[in-house]
Amino acid sequence: MTKLENLLKGLVKENPLFVSVLGMCPSLAVTTSLENALGMGIGVLFVLVLSNFMVSLIMSSPKLAELVKPVRIPVYIVIIATLVSVVEMLMHAFLIDLYNALGVFIPLIVVNCIILGRAEAFASANKPVDSVLDGIGMALGFTAAISLISIFREFLGKGTITIWGDAVLNLKFFFNFLNIEPISMFVQPVGAFLSFGLILATLTAFGNFFKERKARKVKANG
Amino acid sequence: MLKGLRSGLVLLVLGIISGTLLAFVNYFTATVIAELENQAQYEALKEFYYDVDNPNYDNFVLSDDYDLSKVKMDDSYVSAIFVVKDKVTNEVSLGYLVSANGYSSDAPITMLIVVNSDMSVRGYKVISHKETSGFGADIVDNDFNVHVITDLSGFDSVAHVTFTSDGIYECFYQVSLRVAADFGGDLVD
Repeated sequence: MTKLENLLKGLVKENPLFVSVLGMCPSLAVTTSLENALGMGIGVLFVLVLSNFMVSLIMSSPKLAELVKPVRIPVYIVIIATLVSVVEMLMHAFLIDLYNALGVFIPLIVVNCIILGRAEAFASANKPVDSVLDGIGMALGFTAAISLISIFREFLGKGTITIWGDAVLNLKFFFNFLNIEPISMFVQPVGAFLSFGLILATLTAFGNFFKERKARKVKANG
Repeated sequence: MLKGLRSGLVLLVLGIISGTLLAFVNYFTATVIAELENQAQYEALKEFYYDVDNPNYDNFVLSDDYDLSKVKMDDSYVSAIFVVKDKVTNEVSLGYLVSANGYSSDAPITMLIVVNSDMSVRGYKVISHKETSGFGADIVDNDFNVHVITDLSGFDSVAHVTFTSDGIYECFYQVSLRVAADFGGDLVD
C-alpha cells in the first residue's frame, strides 16, 4: 500500500464510522451542531495521530515490543489517556465554549474504539510514518462522517448550521417556504440514531450501485 | 517471572513519563483555567447588579458602584461568598458560590446565588456543570420560579425529582440553611 493510499483509505474505503461502524457513542452524542463535530474531530485527530505514532515507535523496536507485548493494551490506554488529558486541559484553558459543549465526551475519547482499534490493528505492526498517515486519514474520515451527520441533524432539527462560534448559517427560509417548523426531534438522541441509519443506508445504496455497475462493466468486457 | 517484572517496569516508566507530561501541561493551563473561572463568576455576578436602563453593559464595572469582596469558605457546598455593598445605600447582598452533585460524576453543578438582605433571591446562575447534553443540560437552564421566592430562609421551591434538579435544589437548600445566620452576624464558616 502506497503512502497516499494509506492516507486516503480512512476517508471512504475504510471510513471508521460508516464502514467499520466504530466510535458510535460519542459520534451520535456530539453531532447536535457542526461546531461540536469539528471540535470533536480536532480532538480525535490530535489523539489518534500521536497515539498511532507513539505505539508504532514503541513497537518498531523488537526488544521493547517483546517487553510491551504482554501488557500492550494497558500501555495503549496509558498513552491514549495521557493524550486525551492533555487535549482536555488545553481545551479547558483556550477553547472554553467548545470544552463546555463537548462536556463528558472529551474524556470519553479514551475509550473511543477507533483509537484503540488503530493502535492494535495498524500502528503496532507498521512504521511510524505510515501510522501517522493512517491516523490522519482515519481522523479526517471520522471528522467528515460526524460533520455530515451533524449538518443533517442541525439543519433538520434547528434550521441552522453552526460552523464555529458566531458563524452560523441560517437556513430557516427553507422551513418558512414549506410553512413548517424545524423538526426538533433530529437534535434529540432519537434523531441521532435515525440520522445515522438514514445516512448509512444511503451511502450503502450508493456503494452497492457503483459495485454493481462496475461488475456489469467487467462482465460486458468479458 | 522476570519477563513479567520487566513488562511491569515498562508500564511504570511509561506512567512516570505520562505523569510528568501532564504535570507540565497542567503547570501552564491551571492559571488560565482559574482566571477563566474567576471571570465567569464575576460576569455572572455583574448581571445581577447591572442597571437595565444603562445600555453599556460591556463597560459596566461592578466595583464602581459597589464594594465587592470575596470570602473563601471551608465548606463542602459553599466554596466562596461574594459580599456586595451598595456604595450609596449601604445595602448588603451576598453572592453564594455553591456546588452540589447532579447526575454527572465528572463535575458538580456550581451555581452563583445572590440573596438580598431581606432574604429574597436577587438572581441565580449556573456557572458550570457537566450534566448530560440534551437532558440535564437543558434542566439547568430552566427557570425554577425562584424569582418569586421572597424568603430563602424557608426555601422549598424546586421539586428535586431528577438527579440534575436535585443538584439545583441542594444548592438553594444549602444557601437557605445559612443565609439567615450570614446576614445576622459573621459569616458562618
